Amino acid sequence: MPDVLLLSVRFAWLIPLYGFAGVLLSLPWAAGWIRRHGPRPAAYLNLLVTLLAFVHGSISLVWIWEHGTYALDLVWLDAAGLRLDWSFVLSPFNLGALELVTGLSFLGQVYALGYMDKEWSLARFFALIGFFEGAMSGVVLSSSLFMSYFLLEMLTLSTYLLVGFWYAQPLVVTAARDAFLTKRVGDVLLLMGIVSISAWAGSMTFTDLYVWVANHDLGPLASTLVPLALIAGPAGKCAQFPMHLWLDEAMEGPNPASILRNSVVVTCGAIVLLKVMPIVTISPVAISVLQVIGSISALGGSLVALAQVDIKRALSYTTTAYLGLVFILISLRLPSLALLLLLAHALSKALLAMSSGSVIAITNSQDITELGGLARCTPATTTAYIVGAAGMTGLLPLGCFWCFGLSIDVLLRDAPLLAAVFLLTNALTVWNLVRKFRHVFLGEPRAKARRAPEVNWLMALPMVALTVLVLVTPFLMQRLDPVPGITAVSTAGLALVLASGGLAFLVGSLQPLQEAMSRSIHRPLRVVQDLLAFDFYTDHLYRISIVALVAWLARSADWLDRRIVNGAVNGFGRLSMATAEGLKLSVSGASQTYVLTLVVAVVLLAFLNFAVGGTP
Amino acid sequence: MSLPMLSILLLISFAGALALILWPGVPCPETSKRFSLVTLAAQLLWSCALLIPFDGHLAGMQLQEQASWLGSLGLDYRLGLDGLALSLVLINGILSLVAAAVSSTGTPRPRLYFALLLIISAAVNGAFLAENTLLFFLFYELELIPLWLLIAIWGGRNRAYAATKFLIFTAVSGVLILVAFLGLALASGDLDFSILPDQARQLGLGTQLALMAALVVGFGIKIPLFPFHSWLPDAHTEASTPISVLLAGVLLKLGTYGLLRFCLGLFPDAWALMSPYLAGWAAVSVLFGSLAAIAQTDMKRMVAYSSVGHMGYVLLATAAATPVSLLGALFQMIAHGLISGLMFLLVGVVYSATGTRDLTVLRGLMNPQRGLPLTGSLMVLAVMASAGIPGMAGFVAEFMIFRGSLLTFPLATLLSMVGSGLTAVYFLLLVNRVFFGRLAVTPVRPDSPTHNVLLPAVPLIHQLPAMALALVVFVVGLWPQGLADLAVGSTTALSTLPQQMALAGRPGEAAG
Repeated sequence: MPDVLLLSVRFAWLIPLYGFAGVLLSLPWAAGWIRRHGPRPAAYLNLLVTLLAFVHGSISLVWIWEHGTYALDLVWLDAAGLRLDWSFVLSPFNLGALELVTGLSFLGQVYALGYMDKEWSLARFFALIGFFEGAMSGVVLSSSLFMSYFLLEMLTLSTYLLVGFWYAQPLVVTAARDAFLTKRVGDVLLLMGIVSISAWAGSMTFTDLYVWVANHDLGPLASTLVPLALIAGPAGKCAQFPMHLWLDEAMEGPNPASILRNSVVVTCGAIVLLKVMPIVTISPVAISVLQVIGSISALGGSLVALAQVDIKRALSYTTTAYLGLVFILISLRLPSLALLLLLAHALSKALLAMSSGSVIAITNSQDITELGGLARCTPATTTAYIVGAAGMTGLLPLGCFWCFGLSIDVLLRDAPLLAAVFLLTNALTVWNLVRKFRHVFLGEPRAKARRAPEVNWLMALPMVALTVLVLVTPFLMQRLDPVPGITAVSTAGLALVLASGGLAFLVGSLQPLQEAMSRSIHRPLRVVQDLLAFDFYTDHLYRISIVALVAWLARSADWLDRRIVNGAVNGFGRLSMATAEGLKLSVSGASQTYVLTLVVAVVLLAFLNFAVGGTP
Repeated sequence: MSLPMLSILLLISFAGALALILWPGVPCPETSKRFSLVTLAAQLLWSCALLIPFDGHLAGMQLQEQASWLGSLGLDYRLGLDGLALSLVLINGILSLVAAAVSSTGTPRPRLYFALLLIISAAVNGAFLAENTLLFFLFYELELIPLWLLIAIWGGRNRAYAATKFLIFTAVSGVLILVAFLGLALASGDLDFSILPDQARQLGLGTQLALMAALVVGFGIKIPLFPFHSWLPDAHTEASTPISVLLAGVLLKLGTYGLLRFCLGLFPDAWALMSPYLAGWAAVSVLFGSLAAIAQTDMKRMVAYSSVGHMGYVLLATAAATPVSLLGALFQMIAHGLISGLMFLLVGVVYSATGTRDLTVLRGLMNPQRGLPLTGSLMVLAVMASAGIPGMAGFVAEFMIFRGSLLTFPLATLLSMVGSGLTAVYFLLLVNRVFFGRLAVTPVRPDSPTHNVLLPAVPLIHQLPAMALALVVFVVGLWPQGLADLAVGSTTALSTLPQQMALAGRPGEAAG
């Protein structure tokens, strides 16, 4: 038995490949080469390889738990003094994150089988999910910055393809474009940082980089810019201000992909940031930037979420908000707390996303003001929502409650202002979730909710499984090694969290909920509502700033090309043609003129020759 | 090794072309195509056979062949192979075969067409293998005329303008290169046209700079670099698909090859002196190409301008001239050859299916039943490869170039990386407009319903060349070690040229 365990550890590099193998396995169905039995076999094959990845990860985890961390290095490129490795580290933390990724991916895929039952391109969807999962598994296991970047970029690509899954719809097209370009901006900045680090430090493995950064000799400019570049990539991935817009738009994609995107994909971005934390925190500027974008994302995201009427969008903004909190924790060098929050958030957010997806599936509506009364007939969905909401907020003693308590303890001591950000975010999220719950599940059933049945078992099963998981999250957190133990929290911290959550719960429960209120006729209130509903008009700001700038530059380049460069070329051509045409007229055809010209030329030449004094 | 492997390589296609021209009677178009396919396949196989005796970690020329030809002129028939040349010979082999495979047999005068194709392929190989600058020049010019004919005879509506423009630009490029080569020989006093870096060292720096400037501009036209690029978009738009593939994939590489082999290889001192300006020029070229590409509305023009941008990276890497950056330059040549070749193939499919390449008109071609789903998927792949997504050839190349050039030219490198980000912008515009959305191939008007467009399905066999190219893009991107092992010896040798010569001592000083 131990041999098997060791073998699984030695071959841990296979784990990301399972997902990519899923892509290849789905290809015959996705490309339409096999049509006989519909696209289902591709889905089953993908489920199988995901399960394989999960089991492989679990077996390795057993060995690692006993024998400690195991590192794997495979040379990828070694030429001209440049060495790039595939480096994996199997640590309890990495493998735990892997279990989270593959586990949620498996549940999401089962859910997708139910959700996308009649989807024509099911095989393509599963191929993309396999790609997604492979890239994420690689990111969490990676122990080299280069490899992390490599896989993060693949994640960007797969996000683009997944968001653009229903590519015939105009909103999907812009959403996919924005998702790709926003992430790409972050990625190019990240690449600048990575290339610089690679040139300066040589090695790209994190352990070597930690040694390098401890006694680096960078100038003040470089030691500020490099950390900022390293922040930019994860900020794009985690949908942080000012690169948050894509996550909201990405909700146009299929819901099962949204489950993963809002939970584990953003977690991957944060994990990369965690791994480069020692490099980022050499710069005080970078630390402040992390705190500022974290705070803006947390508060702004929570506020904007409050004004959304789309069931998925109201959820996606809270992702931005919670990842903002993670950024704050990372800036304060609190990796274990950040991890706890990531875990609790990922699980409960996935559950909330599943529940929202179920609501959409059974009512065909995403507008919460059109729904109501669903609690009567949908026990699994309703329970999932309640448990997910409880797990994500500091109200009941589930995952995030303890995370918030522990964070508040530390923050009250070190940075009281940031503690306020945490409490406010908690309060606003509770308010938002209670508001949504009342709209969707309570009250009189509206037109679209009247005949809604509970979801089919393929969707219910993963949802119930995840509900149980979220319920036991505190025990999971208790067992995790690097954590101080959630019981270490002080009563004062818990009281603050409870107070903020409870107050917001009251506000959310007592707030009047008329449809007319969703866009008030009172001008001041409406202005505020619109401001939040349209995300502080960020997309408009983009359009008049960066988009306009690039468009203007492109137009200028084109003008320069057409008028100046090509104009000069064509002008030169015209000039020579015109000269030729003009000279043509000088040809008279009279032979006397030709002879005269020749004679004059010969005389002139002879004269010149003598005048200069050379010998003929 | 007594077998003249390199001469045989050249002979295959030249003899093939000759045989096709002298073919008794009038061969039917299919025969011409099949014959040239066989010839080019043989050429590709033979190119691969070169891998067997070749050792990529050696620095100098291998498999050398020599025969005196016009000794009094200094024109010797000397061929040699190093990693740089071999990689480019391989990509030439692949893309020539692809170009022949996607050529239509319905074209007028198929015999001439395929014969010219074979001549180009052989001439390009000759230029890569030539170890004598005059011989290089002969092959460089030899490739020009067939290509001019291919554009002028089989081109699009505006072909006369484009072909003439191409001819004039490239002829000027040839003249400048010849002037530099002759000037080098005359100024240094010995009529030796072998590629010897010592030769230029005997001259004053001013002469070196002047000669190198002529070379750089000559090759800069071919690459092309801003502002000498204006022939390229026109040539591409008017050329037929296979010619575009060859032009972008192989012929532009003659320019970048010249940059490495002759500008850097013959004038290392002058090159080092000018390198900061060259790096700046590279950044301008990258940014200009990328920005101009955003504004294009013709798919082919967009890809053409992207070539201007992506070839700028090669100049940047060559200016930095570190071992990593030069290896990256080679990777970029290969990657760009494969990726832009793939893109032109796919644009060709779109054009033949819809009759237009207009970005303002085409919509939603990804439609699974009535559109071109496989072409669309391959295009997404090509676009991502070009934008530098890891796992495909473009990323390795860009990473090595940026990594190798950053410490030497930080600002130019960072600006070029911005260009890499802009690549995503314009190619995403292309994919989003042409392949995503609701299917339409004519301008959408309220009175013309567009939902009943039905594009002819492309048979899988016609997509085979594109799929093969995509596969190679993945192979290079996932297993770069293979290509690196081929080329690392020669690129490292090029990057350490100044040090090598410093060790060898300066002949001019030794004499004095």
